[in-house]
Amino acid sequence: MKKNSAFSRFFTVLVFLFLYAPIILLIVFSFNQNNSNVVWGGFSLHWYKELFHNRIIMRSLYTTLLVSLLATVISTIAGTFAAIGFYGLRRRTRSALNTVNNIPMVNADIVTGVAMCLFFVAFFALWKDFALWVNSVQSLFVLPTRLTLGFPTLLIAHITFNIPYVLLSVSPKLRQLDKNLIDAAQDLGCTWFQAFYKVILPEIKPGIVSGALTAFTMSIDDFIISYFTAGSSSSTLAMTIYGMTKKRVSPEINAISTLLFVTVILLLAVINIREAQQEKAAARREAAPSATVAEMAGSRPRRTPLPVKAAAVAACVAVLATTAVGAFQNTRKPMVNVCSWGEYIDEALISQFEEETGILVNYQTAESNEALYSLLKSGAGDYDVIVPSDYMISQLIEEDMLEKLDYNNIPNFSLIGDQFKNLPYDPTNEYTVPYTWGTVGIIYNTAMVEEPITSWSAMFDDKYAGQVLMFRNSRDAMATALLYLGYDINTTDEAQLRQAAELIADAKGRGVYQAFVMDEIFLKMEGGNAAIGAYYAGDYLTAVENNPDLAFVIPEEGSNWFVDAMCVLKDAPHKAEAEAWINFIASTEANLANMDFIWYASPNEKALAEYPAYYEELYGEPLEQEVYEIIAAPAEVLERCESYISLPKETRQLYNELWIGLGIQ
Amino acid sequence: MSKELIRLSDCVVKYDDEIILDHLNLYINDKEFLTLLGPSGCGKTTTLRIIGGFQKPTSGDVFFDGRRCNDVPPHKRQINTVFQKYALFTHMNIFENVAFGLRIAKVPEADITRRVEEALEIVNLPGYGKRSVTSLSGGQQQRVAIARAIVNRPQVLLLDEPLGALDMKLRKDMQVELKRIQREVGITFIYVTHDQEEALTMSDTVVVMDKGNIQQIGTPEDIYNEPKNAFVADFIGESNIIDGTMPEDKVVKMYGKKFPCLDGGFAPNEPVDVVIRPEDIDIVSPEAGQITGTVTEVTFKGMHYDIIVDFQGFKWLIQTTDYSPEGARIGVKIDPDGFHIMKKSQYSGMFGDYSSYSEEYDELNVDPDAAEGDDEED
Repeated sequence: MKKNSAFSRFFTVLVFLFLYAPIILLIVFSFNQNNSNVVWGGFSLHWYKELFHNRIIMRSLYTTLLVSLLATVISTIAGTFAAIGFYGLRRRTRSALNTVNNIPMVNADIVTGVAMCLFFVAFFALWKDFALWVNSVQSLFVLPTRLTLGFPTLLIAHITFNIPYVLLSVSPKLRQLDKNLIDAAQDLGCTWFQAFYKVILPEIKPGIVSGALTAFTMSIDDFIISYFTAGSSSSTLAMTIYGMTKKRVSPEINAISTLLFVTVILLLAVINIREAQQEKAAARREAAPSATVAEMAGSRPRRTPLPVKAAAVAACVAVLATTAVGAFQNTRKPMVNVCSWGEYIDEALISQFEEETGILVNYQTAESNEALYSLLKSGAGDYDVIVPSDYMISQLIEEDMLEKLDYNNIPNFSLIGDQFKNLPYDPTNEYTVPYTWGTVGIIYNTAMVEEPITSWSAMFDDKYAGQVLMFRNSRDAMATALLYLGYDINTTDEAQLRQAAELIADAKGRGVYQAFVMDEIFLKMEGGNAAIGAYYAGDYLTAVENNPDLAFVIPEEGSNWFVDAMCVLKDAPHKAEAEAWINFIASTEANLANMDFIWYASPNEKALAEYPAYYEELYGEPLEQEVYEIIAAPAEVLERCESYISLPKETRQLYNELWIGLGIQ
Repeated sequence: MSKELIRLSDCVVKYDDEIILDHLNLYINDKEFLTLLGPSGCGKTTTLRIIGGFQKPTSGDVFFDGRRCNDVPPHKRQINTVFQKYALFTHMNIFENVAFGLRIAKVPEADITRRVEEALEIVNLPGYGKRSVTSLSGGQQQRVAIARAIVNRPQVLLLDEPLGALDMKLRKDMQVELKRIQREVGITFIYVTHDQEEALTMSDTVVVMDKGNIQQIGTPEDIYNEPKNAFVADFIGESNIIDGTMPEDKVVKMYGKKFPCLDGGFAPNEPVDVVIRPEDIDIVSPEAGQITGTVTEVTFKGMHYDIIVDFQGFKWLIQTTDYSPEGARIGVKIDPDGFHIMKKSQYSGMFGDYSSYSEEYDELNVDPDAAEGDDEED
């Protein structure tokens, strides 16, 4: 018996360890001094501090709180009345409706999210026709014709998925009620409404409160449904965290996740403690100590003292008021919606721009060019400015998805180096202003490989089987193979492409690759879990900070050099603001700040040249020439590199086919 | 007797063609303890809800103190109700529960304190104000419900099976208690129950109902001693009901024999229902008996034996302190005042045969079907 219980205790501990180890690890590393999730650099609250200075996080926190509070209030009211309505129905109708009510809760979030997204988009299309018709038949008022996903749709979605939870916790309370309660109150002189708020409401209050708490918890931590209904102009905390992880899991994410985890745990604890207390109260049948007659009058058992109650109400009102006022102000200011990549800007620039121009920047991030493209195609990506890569830009121009820029509004375009103008993706430079440029190469761990890597052959060599990380996107992965085989990275020759794909498939079959990755490469390389990986130069510099053993090479066969450029989407609602933003980012000052922050090279000639001096002034030490040359590849290296150009449709299809054939997600 | 306070005139209640109340006429006097007695679904609770204003009759009128009050909502009637399961407000303590009606009526705070204390004293719960509802026993909760009603000084108190949820012993105590409270506050009590004993113990007037009709109105003694039909005779106490005829006044004929009785006023040889209460039958030797039968079942009841006797295939219940063994052949003798003669009615032949008698008979007959309210409301 005893042995058994010791074993079961051990087993329990093991189960909990499995359950909570990842979260504990996450929490521990949120206090890490350096920016790694693998290497412990000492205790620090640095990332929490950083968090509160991160405007994207604070903005999304604000969105999350606003949507959660509003959705909680509205769904609690709606759900409570719905429960009362259900209660009044015949039993058969009621149980049918209850079943309908339960479906959204068991339904996959992804289905709910996609369905809502499609519903909203369909509604917007209908609305457009309707508004155009209304505007054409009268001139008293003008209806907006272009509705987009945004805060209102996010709120509607949250209210929708919260109502069932409120119903579920209010209904049992109603069923427990003595059905004569309303009669009793009316009998004692109440009107129906008085009976409702003096008797029914307080009697079911525990159910309403736990319903509201559940709804709030659900709203706070919802990701999937929000992701599909928030559109591009608003982002909840969970969405922001997701966006951040696309780049790299910085301890900042650990910090915000820790806070989110603690918040949800606290909310759950409150809900559970309340339930436990209610059960206890129900079970308690023994008489309380009798009171003297004098004490009796006006005294109520287990009541929160009035000042505490008042303070709680005041706090709620204050939060709601500030969020509401904030929301109101937000809608009044001029704004610009920007979609870029994770950790791809010095955020101080956003604040600076907002201060200087009074234009509010809604800064969002996408995962990859391909993800951005499908988002835009779905109609859900309602951005003004995007920052795609070269080959994607030519595709977007080809499909008439970009707006021509008015370069009179972008005087800083003149600061861009000539070698970055009129590039193949935008030959007459009518659509784009370059943002950064860089090269692709091989990152390797000098402690794990015997001799310096110099060739793309390392990506296909059995010698490092199981230690190699390959790109998880078709264009970059195929490029490594094409380069190794000595072909043009922009080749449209089917035989060459098939040969390249076979090379990758063969290496994959031989177990050369540990994984196909994008930003996960940071974790794996920094932690010494992989020896070799192909990636971007700027990201190598970030990784080497956490692991000095890492080295970078642009192989002798040559490589790809790329440009990311800012463009404005066709029919963007804030074109003037978008051009102001582009002009601001193109300035020398902004380019210096960005170059320092993201370590991708600047296309601004002056900024590129001045960066070593800027670095020295900022950090008090000179920038090593070697590092500078990795950021900004010198002319002789660039000569070996080629940029991607947009491939013809058939070739793109072939890429797709080959990529799917490799069996990589 | 005192003046009339409430009158129901030709009240009909129908749900989807189902008749709950069938042209009901009833008046209730001031300061009277009136009981509506009947089995589940007889319409007694519906009648009470009409008086309380929780329900409107499909047709017919309700008068309160001479004024038609069909459309007066519950909160404007000088009537308070004690509900079946008390319907106390669990989010308030005892004091607040009792004070509820006074607070709604905006009575000054000092008066509230005084009146609540008075009411709690009347129901024997002085000093309980601070306790929570859930800390009280069922009987105590019942008293709180009464205090909460009477504190408003209504002219009429409606009680809807208030003792139904209590155990036997507590129920008996509360019967006495209720009668005392009624005398003390001096108002009309309208009491709904399916328990004939409760009705007989407490009431000034008993209204026996069945199938939406009033079967009989009268004092407990009238109802017991002079039931109008087989239903009443059977529902109130135990009765042997035998088919008979009245050859002439003061003579009843059954089993082919003539028996002297005290009733009269029937047509010659009119078929009648003869009611003989089990306790009015004396067991004598077969030779001395007016009729003879065989004992088929004997049950010891404490104060007496319940004996089932087969008289030519029709079984009687006899309550006696004299033991007769099963299978014994006995004679019985009935005094003239032991017979009660009733005209034939729709209930004739349905009651009064103890062929299927069992110990559970009582319980089965008064099965407290709490679902009565549901039946009527759904």
